[in-house]
Amino acid sequence: MASQSSTPVQQQALSSTTSTSSKPKFSHPPVSILPSQFARGYALAHPAILLSLVIYRFSSVVNDPVVELLSDIPFLVGLQVVYVMGCLPPAGVEKDGSPSTDGTARKTPGHKRRGHSASKGSAWATGLVTVAWKLTPALLSLTLTTLLATPTLALLLVLFGAPLTTHHALTFLCAAHMALLSAFPLIYAHGVDGEIWREIWGASRPADAVWGGALGTCLGAWFGAVPIPLDWDRPWQAYPITILTGAYIGYVLGMLLGRAKGVFGKRLEFVPQGLTDIKVD
Amino acid sequence: MHYLGLDHIGHKAGPQSSHMIPKQHEMDSIVSQVYQAIEQETHLHSTLFVLCGDHGMNDAGNHGGSSAGETSPAVLFISPRFRALDTNRQSPADALRDLQYYRVVDQTDITPTLAGLLGLPIPLNSLGVFIPEFLDMWHTSAERLELLLANSKQLLRTLTQTYPSYDFDTPATCHVSSDSGNLEKAHCAWARVKELLSQEEHAEIETILLQLLRTSQAAMSSAASNYELPYLFLGICIAGVASVLSLPASYEALRRYQQPGLFLVASILSYGIMMFASSYVEEEQQFWYWAFTGWAVYLHVRSFQLQPAVRAFRSSFLLTTFGAVALTMSHRILRRWNQTGQKFAAEPDIARTYFSTHQGTLWTLVVLTYADIYLCLVRNDSSSSPTWYLSCLAVTVVAFTFKLAFATSESPELVANYVATTLRGIPLIPYARVVMSGIAILCLSKKKRDTRIKSPPRSLHSALTLFLVTQSRVTNIPIFLVFRLQLKILASMNLASVEVTVTSLFMQYITFFAFGGSNAISSIDLSNAYNGVGNYNLVLVGILTFVSNWAGPIWWVSASKLLRSKRPRGESQTHVALLTLCVACMLLSVMAACTVLRTHLFIWTVFSPKYLYTMSWAIIHHFAVNLLGDIDLLFSSAT
Repeated sequence: MASQSSTPVQQQALSSTTSTSSKPKFSHPPVSILPSQFARGYALAHPAILLSLVIYRFSSVVNDPVVELLSDIPFLVGLQVVYVMGCLPPAGVEKDGSPSTDGTARKTPGHKRRGHSASKGSAWATGLVTVAWKLTPALLSLTLTTLLATPTLALLLVLFGAPLTTHHALTFLCAAHMALLSAFPLIYAHGVDGEIWREIWGASRPADAVWGGALGTCLGAWFGAVPIPLDWDRPWQAYPITILTGAYIGYVLGMLLGRAKGVFGKRLEFVPQGLTDIKVD
Repeated sequence: MHYLGLDHIGHKAGPQSSHMIPKQHEMDSIVSQVYQAIEQETHLHSTLFVLCGDHGMNDAGNHGGSSAGETSPAVLFISPRFRALDTNRQSPADALRDLQYYRVVDQTDITPTLAGLLGLPIPLNSLGVFIPEFLDMWHTSAERLELLLANSKQLLRTLTQTYPSYDFDTPATCHVSSDSGNLEKAHCAWARVKELLSQEEHAEIETILLQLLRTSQAAMSSAASNYELPYLFLGICIAGVASVLSLPASYEALRRYQQPGLFLVASILSYGIMMFASSYVEEEQQFWYWAFTGWAVYLHVRSFQLQPAVRAFRSSFLLTTFGAVALTMSHRILRRWNQTGQKFAAEPDIARTYFSTHQGTLWTLVVLTYADIYLCLVRNDSSSSPTWYLSCLAVTVVAFTFKLAFATSESPELVANYVATTLRGIPLIPYARVVMSGIAILCLSKKKRDTRIKSPPRSLHSALTLFLVTQSRVTNIPIFLVFRLQLKILASMNLASVEVTVTSLFMQYITFFAFGGSNAISSIDLSNAYNGVGNYNLVLVGILTFVSNWAGPIWWVSASKLLRSKRPRGESQTHVALLTLCVACMLLSVMAACTVLRTHLFIWTVFSPKYLYTMSWAIIHHFAVNLLGDIDLLFSSAT
């Protein structure tokens, strides 16, 4: 039911973007949250849990950022793993543009096979199979997040003004948190598909929870730098507390906004009109 | 004596720190130790021991604001001689209200009191009144009167200087009512004093003199915060009219290029809001650095999305994919070149920290910069003759050796000893004149050729670079290499007109701060203000000072002209209109902030210097550099 209602919206969004700009071929549709009851519920609960954790742990981050940010990572990993496995289709499933039907089609054989032997434990068994089947991409994306996304984000943080000669541990921890928020769902949902990553590098992905969350994380971190120069001399103004707080808020907002009705499927287009004119003269 | 401990604990951990009370006991014990030492020696019995805090602290332990905790420091006059006074103060005492004990003494009153107690004349511009409790130290009324009269005459003299039209010596027909001004009251009191003096009524004179002193003091302090509001509003109106007038021409461009236009408008709006916060004014460079990273992301995304179209303009795949990354990297290097502002001013940076220990790197980069300028001068010329090559080489080499000789005399710590010994004693003024005339000859001979071939003034730009390099600090010279790289990346992006304008605006402000500028008067660099100038010449020194402080912005004005050179003429007009709009809006916000915050504690230390800087940005930089740089527009549109 849910999947049926989401596909027309998706297609409409797709057609509207293709009509506005003629050249790029958008072969990769936005990612929809899985249709299951749990997925739809948890996709809303997850941002709430993350934000309350930020509020709950804020004072200890201010007191000892290195220790607190480090000890938060396992919890963040856990929450994000539950979120991506429970709510997002893993990479490769949605190739033909109909994610939900494909996902269920893969699950049904296992369900049927086990249905013969034990009908009571079948729900449990399907659950286990699904978890086991999704755990591999989750673990793979987690590895890539640690090995690739975290160093890349740390470099980007330095490029955007983070201290280069000091605060290395904090920069890396901040990058790790941001990578878990933004890159982990991206890798889980898109794998290492070069074309999609080109779209991400060009910021031209259609809006969805995954891309919205990633973009929101980066924008939030950028805006998070604003209070640092103020002369209030508050301990929370220290690098990178405001930046990471901004990243979390941005992630939550971006994730929710990316799924919102008028936004889902839309793309950022930064092509200045004037440039087509120059080509003429 | 200045004991740092209390202040240090306050800044570290605030007034509630566990170290605060022990430290205060320690300070008390030091005071009693000093006092006992005074008491033990008879020849020290006339010692005056003054204990005075220079500020208090707020709840966080900091100061500089206007809260009661920050503005209520203690003052204590201690001497064995004060036993003679019958003021019997109890200690410890309860606070009357917010941190007020015993009695409040005006800060300005400390000076005349010290002068009176020590038997010294009161300083010329003092605005204080002798603290009357100490008058009893003098036993005869004649002595007390002499002291108060000296104080009154000195204050009245200051008052007459402030209000030259007011004559205090005319006999007053006194009808002082409660609503008459302080000046009239002081005038009346002075007339009454003179009258009583002739009658030798000493007892009453003292009270009248104290009244006179208080009213004069009040008149002076209101004069210090007396603003010519009509002029302030007139200035705001002029800036407002300027921004409104530049709006129609800019609006068309902003509407056509919506995203860069929106970015520009958002930047200017947030800049305007920022001007009302003192710490953002002090750390203005952070805003430009921060906003530019956002702009770099925009440039990256639009170039990347445009890739198929841009590739038609011979830009490589690498530049469209990672050009903005390289731009941000070079920007990050510029950011760290000179630490500026207040909050992070002492942090290590490239110019002061790194180069002072790596002179070899510094001079290699400087030589590379000069070599690059020489290549630019030569390369952009199709019809170059051997004489042109030779004269370019000669001027570049002379300019470099001048800088070397200059560094030897001004900052010898950057020059190796063997170089310093050979170069010491070179007369710098004639040398600088040779460099300047060489650059001028290059410009003039270029101008002649350019009119013939009608090409963009590339080598004029190179000659200008040579001049700007000559006017920059040695440690800043390699920045011009970074600029060249940035210009190359930007040129490959094939920017639209509004994009060039926004980039140019950002680069102008960023480089001003990257060269070490800030919004504090103390950061003006005067080291190159006298290059080739023998004796003080206001106009020449003024121009050289401006060029050496605005070298980066001037370079980018010229560079953005190059970026625009391939584009239609009309777009240059929108460039000028947009820059005018931005400058007028910035001027408007700074003027409004200074007017609204004229009673702010930091009006003289933060907002007024910012106002002066904005004036030179608007009047000198915008009119003389940005608009004069595009003066050819005027002729081309006329023909």
